[in-house]
Formats: sequence, structure tokens, C-alpha cells
Amino acid sequence: MKSALSRQAPPADFAARVLRRTERPVYRFPRWLAAAAAVIVLAGAGMGYRQYRGEMAKEQLLEAFKIASVKVNRIQTQVQGVGQ
Amino acid sequence: MNARVQRRPRRRLVWLLCCLPAMAAAQQFQFNLDRLAAKASETVDVSLDGSTLQFAAKFLDSKDPDQSKVRKLIAGLEGIYVKSFEFDKKGEWTAADLDGIRNQLKAPDWSKIVGVKSTDGEISEIYLRKQNGKLTGVAILAAEAKELTVVNIVGPIDLDSLAELGGHFHIPPMDMAKPDAAKQK
Repeated sequence: MKSALSRQAPPADFAARVLRRTERPVYRFPRWLAAAAAVIVLAGAGMGYRQYRGEMAKEQLLEAFKIASVKVNRIQTQVQGVGQ
Repeated sequence: MNARVQRRPRRRLVWLLCCLPAMAAAQQFQFNLDRLAAKASETVDVSLDGSTLQFAAKFLDSKDPDQSKVRKLIAGLEGIYVKSFEFDKKGEWTAADLDGIRNQLKAPDWSKIVGVKSTDGEISEIYLRKQNGKLTGVAILAAEAKELTVVNIVGPIDLDSLAELGGHFHIPPMDMAKPDAAKQK
């Protein structure tokens, strides 16, 4: 009885086996991948905004030239008409 | 401490000198027509400085013949400013509105090259700004009964090339037979 209840040393790999069981397989997203994704998203958003601003500026430019050219064309026509 | 206090005005001066070219390239006269916006049924307000112009030029389609002409025209420009109002009824703009602009377009900087006033009250004027013999700006005033347009193009521009665009952008060229009623001022 005494020998049955006596303290016994655990097997050599006991601690390692316990720790292995407690470890859950957690997938860790690589930090570099997260940073790269953030950079790509920000760059894409920046390029999209740049494209939007460019298209807006182009529309304004064409509108300005449309108005100016029509007015100059009209004035030239009037002057030519007076000359004739 | 004293050294820092003394440096500030210098820094401001340097900053101001750096900004001078940009300030010089800004709109060459004030439109002062904001009060008309409330009365107008349609308002066009375009304000493009040099950097925005060159930025916009990058988005012009080189395959489109009209847009490639625009690209050539804006090559040396430093700004385009347009204000155009359309009204539902006559008499919304007054002579004082035009005079406020004309008063800024005076010699020696500005010279009026065209002034047309038709019998129906239509007024069209073109002014050129020259510095050291070089064209540095154009002002266009165009007033009709229900419309008022003011344009300031900053920088050298070929008016003939600009007028040629009048037949593009899906705008029909002006009818040459029309201006019988027009008389030069």
C-alpha cells in the first residue's frame, strides 16, 4: 500500500506531451502580409482618388475651353460680319 | 531666443518669395460677380490654376483630336478662370457689373482688341495683357440679354486656334451670315 501511494517521477516526455496538448493550432496572419495588404489598399485608394480628381479637372478644362472658344468664335464672326 | 525671433521675418520673406511665382500666375483680375449667382438659372464657375491645368492635361485623350488640340493650347498656360451665368429673364445683370471688370482691364497692362455691341444689346469684348511684348493673358467679356460670361486665360494663347475649337466639342460653327445687326463699337 505504501509503495503504491508513493510519489513517482513522471516519464521524461510528460511535460512536453502536456504542453503539446494545450497548444491550439492558431493561424497567425503574417505581419508583413498585413502591412503589404494595407499598402496596396492605400495605394489603390490614392490612385483612385487621383484618377477621380484628374477626370474632374479634365471636365472643367474642357468646359472652360468650350465656353471660351464659342465666345471667341462668335466675336470673330461678328467682326468679320462688320468687315463685310 | 532673440536669434529665433529675428529669423522669423526672414523665413516669412523666403516663403513669400517662393510663393510669388504662384501668386503672379493667379487670376489676373477679379470677377466680383458672386451676387449674380443667386439670380442665375445656371452658373458655370471654372477655376483652374497652372498646376491643375497641367494635371488635367494628363487625362486628356491623345487619340481624341479635339482633346489633343486642347492639350497643345494649354501647353504654356498658367490658368483658366471662367464664370458664366444664364438667366431666365432679361435685365438681371447691369452695366455696373461689366464696368467693375472693365475698370481693372486698363492700360498699360491691358489693351482692348475687340469691342462689339449689337443692336439687340449684345456686348462682346476681348482684352489682351502684354508684358515686355509678350502675351500674358486674355480677358473675354460676353454679355447677352439673358447671359453673362467672363473668361480670364492666364498665359499665351493663340486666339485663332481657340476660336477653331468653336466648331468642335459637338458645337456647330457659328453661322457667318448672322451678324448683320452687329456693329463695331
